[in-house]
Amino acid sequence: MDYLSHIYLPGAVALWSALIFALTTMVGYVLALSGDASGISFARRSYSFFALSIFLTAFVLISLLMARDFRVEYVYQYSGMDLPWFYQFAAFWAGQKGSFMIWLFWGTMLGLLVRRTTGKSEPAVMGIYTLTLLGLLLILVRENPFLMLRQTPVDGQGLNPLLQDNWMVIHPPIMFIGYAASAIPFSFAMAALWRRKYDGWAARAFPWALGGFLVLGTAILMGGYWAYKTLGWGGYWGWDPVENASFIPWLFGTVLIHGLYMERTKGRFRRANYVFTFLTYISVLYGTFLTRSGVLADFSVHSFVDLGISGWLTFLLGGFMLLGLYLIVTRWKEIPTVPSEDPSFLSRGTFLVMGSITILIAALVITAGTSAPLLTRFMESQSQVGPSFYNRVNLPIAMLVAFLLSFVPYLTWKETPGNVLLRKMALPIAFSVIVTVAAAVWRVRDVFHLVFILLAALALATNLQKTIDKYRAGGFKAMGGYLTHVGVGIILLGIIASSGYDQSTKVTLTQGAPKQVDDMTLTFKRFIPRQGREKERMEIEVARAGRSPFMVYPKLFVNDRTRQTMVNPDIKSSPFQDLYVSPIEFDPGQPRLELAQGQSGQIGDMQIHFVRFNLNMDGNAVAALNAGHSTTVGAELAITNKEGKTFSVTPVYRLNPATGTVETPPTSLPGGGTITMAGINTGSHAVQLETTGLANPMKLSIDVTKKPLIQLVWGGLYVVLLGGILTMIQRFRQARVLEQIAG
Amino acid sequence: MKVKTNRIYLFGILLLVAFAGFSFTAFKDSMTPYVSYDRAKEGDRIVQVAGALVKGSYSYAAARESLFFTLQDPKTKQTLRVRYKGLKPANFEDAISIVAIGHYDEKAQELEANKLLVKCPSKYQGAEVEKTYS
Repeated sequence: MDYLSHIYLPGAVALWSALIFALTTMVGYVLALSGDASGISFARRSYSFFALSIFLTAFVLISLLMARDFRVEYVYQYSGMDLPWFYQFAAFWAGQKGSFMIWLFWGTMLGLLVRRTTGKSEPAVMGIYTLTLLGLLLILVRENPFLMLRQTPVDGQGLNPLLQDNWMVIHPPIMFIGYAASAIPFSFAMAALWRRKYDGWAARAFPWALGGFLVLGTAILMGGYWAYKTLGWGGYWGWDPVENASFIPWLFGTVLIHGLYMERTKGRFRRANYVFTFLTYISVLYGTFLTRSGVLADFSVHSFVDLGISGWLTFLLGGFMLLGLYLIVTRWKEIPTVPSEDPSFLSRGTFLVMGSITILIAALVITAGTSAPLLTRFMESQSQVGPSFYNRVNLPIAMLVAFLLSFVPYLTWKETPGNVLLRKMALPIAFSVIVTVAAAVWRVRDVFHLVFILLAALALATNLQKTIDKYRAGGFKAMGGYLTHVGVGIILLGIIASSGYDQSTKVTLTQGAPKQVDDMTLTFKRFIPRQGREKERMEIEVARAGRSPFMVYPKLFVNDRTRQTMVNPDIKSSPFQDLYVSPIEFDPGQPRLELAQGQSGQIGDMQIHFVRFNLNMDGNAVAALNAGHSTTVGAELAITNKEGKTFSVTPVYRLNPATGTVETPPTSLPGGGTITMAGINTGSHAVQLETTGLANPMKLSIDVTKKPLIQLVWGGLYVVLLGGILTMIQRFRQARVLEQIAG
Repeated sequence: MKVKTNRIYLFGILLLVAFAGFSFTAFKDSMTPYVSYDRAKEGDRIVQVAGALVKGSYSYAAARESLFFTLQDPKTKQTLRVRYKGLKPANFEDAISIVAIGHYDEKAQELEANKLLVKCPSKYQGAEVEKTYS
C-alpha cells in the first residue's frame, strides 16, 4: 500500500487500464487468427478502450503539468513556476518517461487509422502492431510517470534552459510521430509473412512508409533549424548519436520506399522489402537503445543517462529482432519472386537496385559509426568516431547517389540506348557544366569537390527537366518522385558550399571601436538589457563598402534559475549566404560600488550619489516582507555625468520570499550603460550597485562565420518533402482503389 | 548477355570490397579513444578525456580567443590543463563532468581540445530529489 500512496492514482489507473485493454486486444486478435469470428469485434472494442486509456493517461499528465502540481515527481523535475504555459506543456516530453509517453500516444492514435487500411489482414497486422505498442507500455508501467514526492515542493526544478525554445514545443512530438509510424510497414510485412499471404501488403504499406519518411524528414529538418538558428552549435548537423538515431531509420525508410516502388511496378524486391521494413523499425528501437540506455552517456551531447530501463530496451530490441528474423528466415524460400529479366546496365531497374544498395550502405556505415563505443567496448580503450569519419565516408556515397539520380529519369525498364539518353540529357549536362565552371571560378579548387558539384547539379537538372515533362503530361500526379530527387540535388549543392567553403573568424570587439573582418567592418554598439521575456542582447553593426549597414543582435544571457550562460546566435540571411554571429565571451567592464545612504562614489565619468531607499515602490516593502509577500525595494540615485548634468534613477530589487527568487532588472542610463541594484547590505544600510558600460569599455568576443548557399540546404529539404507529399497522396489513392477492387 | 551480367556483379562486389576497406580505414583514423590523463599526455593521437572542472580554474583569454580550464579525474585525482578555442558551452560552469576531445600539445603542456561535451542535469536531479524531499 505504500506504493499506492505515493502515486497519482487517476493517471496510474488510466495507465494500468491501458495495459489491460492492450492485453485483451491481443487476446481478441489471437482468437480471430485461430478462426474465432467473434474475436475481431472483441479486439476492436478493446483497442478503442485501449486508445481511450492512453488518451486519458496523456491528458492527466498534461493537466498535472498545466496545474503545476509539483507533488508529482515528473512535474517537479521538468517544470517550474517561471515557465510560460507553452513550455509547461512542452515539459511533457522533456524527460525520459514523457518521451516514451508521447511515442506511445502517437502510436496508439495512428493505430486507429491503420486499422481501417488493413482489409482482411487486420488480425495479424493489428496484432503485431499492438504488440509493438505493448512493448512501450511496459516501459511506462515500470517507469511510472505518476510517482509522487513525500512532500510538496513550492516550485519545480524548471526546464533545462537549452530546451526553452519554440522548437522544443514542436520538434520532439513530430519526431515521435515518425518513430511511431515506423512500426506500421513492419507490422504489415510481418503479418504477411505470418499468414503466408505474400501479395497485397506492399500496396497497403506503401503510403504509410511514405508518411513515416515524410514526418521523420520534417522532424530532422526542424532539428537542424533548431541547432543552427538558436542553439549556436555552429551548424545544422553534427553527427551526434541522437541525430544519427533519427537519420538512420530515415535512410532505411528511403530504401524501403524504393523497394516498395519496385515491387509495385515490376514485382522485384519481393524478398528484400521484408528486410527493409525490419531494418527501418529495428533501427528506431536500436537508436533508442543507444541513446536512452546510457551506453553512450559519455559520448553524446544529449544522450539521456540510464534510468534503469536498459534491460527492458534490450529485451524489446532483442524480442522484435528475433520475431522478425524468425519470420523472414522461415518463410524466405516460400516468398514468390519473379524470375529477374537479364538486367542490362543502362536500365532503370539496374540503377534503382544500385541506388538502393548505396543508401543501404550509407545507413549501415552510419550505424557502425554510431555504435563505435559498443564495438570498441572490449578493446583496450572504448572509443567513438568523430564527424570526420561520417564526412569522409559519405562524400563518395553522396557522389554515387547523385550520379545514379542523374540518369534515372530518362532510363526505361528495357535497355536504353546510350545516344538516346545523351540527347535527352543534353540540356542538363550543359547546365551542370556551367555550374561547375562557375564554382571553379568562385573558390572551389578541389577536383573531388568539383566532380561532386558536377554530379549534384546534373541530378538536379535532369530531374527538374523530367518533373516539368511530367507536369505538362499529367499535372501534379506523376511528378512527386522526380521532384524529390530535384530536392536531393539542391541539398547536396548546399551542403558542399556551406560546409566545405564556410569562413569563420573569431574576433574581440571593444565597444564603439570598428574592426575590419574580411570585407566587413564590425562595430559593437551597445549592450541591450533584458526587457520582459526578451533576453539580454548585443547590438553589432555590420558595414560593407557600397552597401547599407545593418545590425545583428546575438544574445548572451545568464539563466536565472541555473546560472548557466546561454548563447543565441543571430543570423543575417541573404540569398547567397548567411552571416552567422555568435557571442563567445562578454566582458561588461563593470565595477561594483557599495554606498551607504547619503554617500557618493565615482564610476568612469559618472558620479553616483545614493539618496535613500524607497520602500514604497509597490506597496509598503516592510509590511509585504513581514506578510511573506513579494517585496520590491528601490534605491533612489542622483547621477551626475561629465557635462555636469544630474538626473535621478531608481533601480529596484525584487524578492519573493516564498520561492527565494531575486530579480534585479538593469535600469538604463541616459547616454548609454545600465545600472543594477545587485544587493542590499542590511548591516550597514548600504546598497550594492553594478554598472555596465560606464568605466572600462565593454568587450565582446564573437564568432563570425559566412556560410555560402546554406539556403539551398533548407530549400532542397522543402522540395524533398513536397515531392514526398505528392507521392504519398498518389499512393493512398492507389491503395484505396485496391481496397474497392478487393471489396 | 549472361557473361555481361556476371561482369556487372563482379564489378559491384569489387566496388563494395573497396568501399568496405575505405570505410574501415576512415573508421580507424577517426577513432577517439577514451583514455587516462597519462595516456593522453603521450600526445600521439586525438583522444578524449573526462573529468570534473576544478573550481575557479577557468579563464577566458580574449587575445587568444581561448578558454582555459583544468580537469580532474574523479578517481585518480590527477589533473589536466585544457585549452579550447571556441565558444564556452552553455552549461559549462555547472557541469558535473566535462569531456574534452583533442590532441595533447607537449610544448604548452595542455590538451588542445576541438570539442567539448558538457554533462549536466537529469541524472543528478533525481538524486537530489531523494535527498531534499524524503
